[in-house]
Amino acid sequence: MIRLSRVKTDPIVNLRRHAEAIGEAVKQAIKPDRITVEYPRERRRYPECFRGFIVFEKDKCISCFRCAQICPANAIQMEYFDKAYPGIDYAKCIFCHFCVDSCPTGALNTSKVHDVAFKSMDEMILSARQITRIPEIVREERQTVEYYVDRQVWRLIRKRELDNLEVPPKPVIVKKRKAACLEPESCLGCRLCVNVCPQNAIKVEKCEISVDEEVKGTGCILEIQEDLCTGCGLCVRQCPMHILTLKEVGE
Amino acid sequence: MFDVINYIYGIFRSNMMDIPLIAPIVDYLMKIPLINILVALILWKPFFAVIIMPGLAVLTLYLLYIVWYERKLTARIQWRVGPIEVARPIRGAIQALADGIRYFFQEAIVHREAHRPYYVQLPILAFIPVLLPIMFIPAGSAVGIYTPYSIQLIVAFIALIPITIVAIGWASNSRFAYIGSVREAFMYFAYEIPFIIAVISMIFLYGSGDAYVAVEKQSAIPGVLLNPIAFVVYIIAMLMATSRLPFEIPEADQEIAFGPFVEYSGILFGLVMVLAYEKLYIMALLFTILFLGGWSGIYCPLLGDLNGPLWLFIKTIIVISVLVIVRSIYARYRLDQALRIGWTSMLALSIAALVVGILGVWLL
Repeated sequence: MIRLSRVKTDPIVNLRRHAEAIGEAVKQAIKPDRITVEYPRERRRYPECFRGFIVFEKDKCISCFRCAQICPANAIQMEYFDKAYPGIDYAKCIFCHFCVDSCPTGALNTSKVHDVAFKSMDEMILSARQITRIPEIVREERQTVEYYVDRQVWRLIRKRELDNLEVPPKPVIVKKRKAACLEPESCLGCRLCVNVCPQNAIKVEKCEISVDEEVKGTGCILEIQEDLCTGCGLCVRQCPMHILTLKEVGE
Repeated sequence: MFDVINYIYGIFRSNMMDIPLIAPIVDYLMKIPLINILVALILWKPFFAVIIMPGLAVLTLYLLYIVWYERKLTARIQWRVGPIEVARPIRGAIQALADGIRYFFQEAIVHREAHRPYYVQLPILAFIPVLLPIMFIPAGSAVGIYTPYSIQLIVAFIALIPITIVAIGWASNSRFAYIGSVREAFMYFAYEIPFIIAVISMIFLYGSGDAYVAVEKQSAIPGVLLNPIAFVVYIIAMLMATSRLPFEIPEADQEIAFGPFVEYSGILFGLVMVLAYEKLYIMALLFTILFLGGWSGIYCPLLGDLNGPLWLFIKTIIVISVLVIVRSIYARYRLDQALRIGWTSMLALSIAALVVGILGVWLL
């Protein structure tokens, strides 16, 4: 059985703690360390990686459908005019920004707009034309506020400036790709890839196929010279066996 | 008829506040018939003390100020902003006024279980013990009713206030109100005895229950230094009596939702909500008279008779403004802890204060 007894406190320590509490309260009453942002009149300064309203740039889009495929909420529907362009249903969007991350050309970009109001559910389905720029918003705030701790003096500092809600597009990192053969033993030796390659980077040579040091027949071996390959992908389209692919190399 | 008016006018005229600052205006108004009787009434010292300063008008101003100030100060200490949307340029300073106007136009619901006549009239009846002490609180030369037993009378009226609060809880006839009433009754016994003993010790020290004598005795040394133990007991009793936060047991918002006042709405709630603030005002006035030298202060010849009431009011406001800071520092005590404090340490301290008072009389 555990017996509870009264906690013994030193009256002097107790008094000191009371004095500390009162001192802290007085300090806060005179100069509070509060980090309130009065939202409609001020706006928090959001970082560049803020996941807000998605802005679409039509010229960069290559209609690769990656955004629509990766969307976990199924909020992106492709629509056709000229090419296939993504439209976003904001009733479904969960702002994970997988689409922005997956876009190979950087056609989709984030913005710092997070307070868009719609009148009805139907209005929330935005077409590609409607998301080419950030929606019209009335900016009530006169300043954007950011709180940060200055590590030199260890004090909370309130920084004010008017921030732009549009985010500059980030440079897209496109990885270099080169042709590679997935299953060299399936090669028919048709030499279509050799004919189509503009750089003459592919060579097909005859070779003997041997099992247990016994020659069974002849086959073809496919050699890709990586220093010559530009990663155009023509050979990938030509191959009847679909054994060629583009592989990412380097950074 | 004319003689009666003249007679009353003569009474008013004989005992008027002499304020050099507004003397030209008063002189001009006194020449106009019928208006002069009104001006004479307002400046008649008993009327001025009870209705204007430190009476009703200033009490209303104080209520508007203290509700906003308390919320704002607590908000600052707790890293919030507090009331701000009503009148932004002055940081929401008229929030209490806006709330009051809203209470006026709100429906006052009387629920079925309530004891209807008492439920409706008790908030108004509760003002009698709150406002009566103002009659006996002197402020300089302005005093409602002069009596050599003013301090005792004020204490007696303050002791009446919890009875009305208990009655309010009983008339509400709801479980929260019932619990609140019982807690109020418990707290009443916990603070009232040390409080009265502390006041008695000061009366002993000054040798009289007359506020004028008390202030005169403090002309050299204020009562704080004469009897610091009584000072401490009085402050704690004041916190307990007005249910400030360490002892906010009867009205505990988070537990019993404003205790005895839980069922009230509309203007009736507005009336009962300010009850504790008014009690705080009365107790702080008595506190100023007993411990801080009352209305004595730097004499400004331009204000004349207004010096006394003004100094008393300023000191009271400072005392209250300092006191409300405890709201944001301390957590609420349990009922048993508060009772233990009241019946052990506070009672012992008050008896020590009484001994100090008796010794002081003997030594002086």
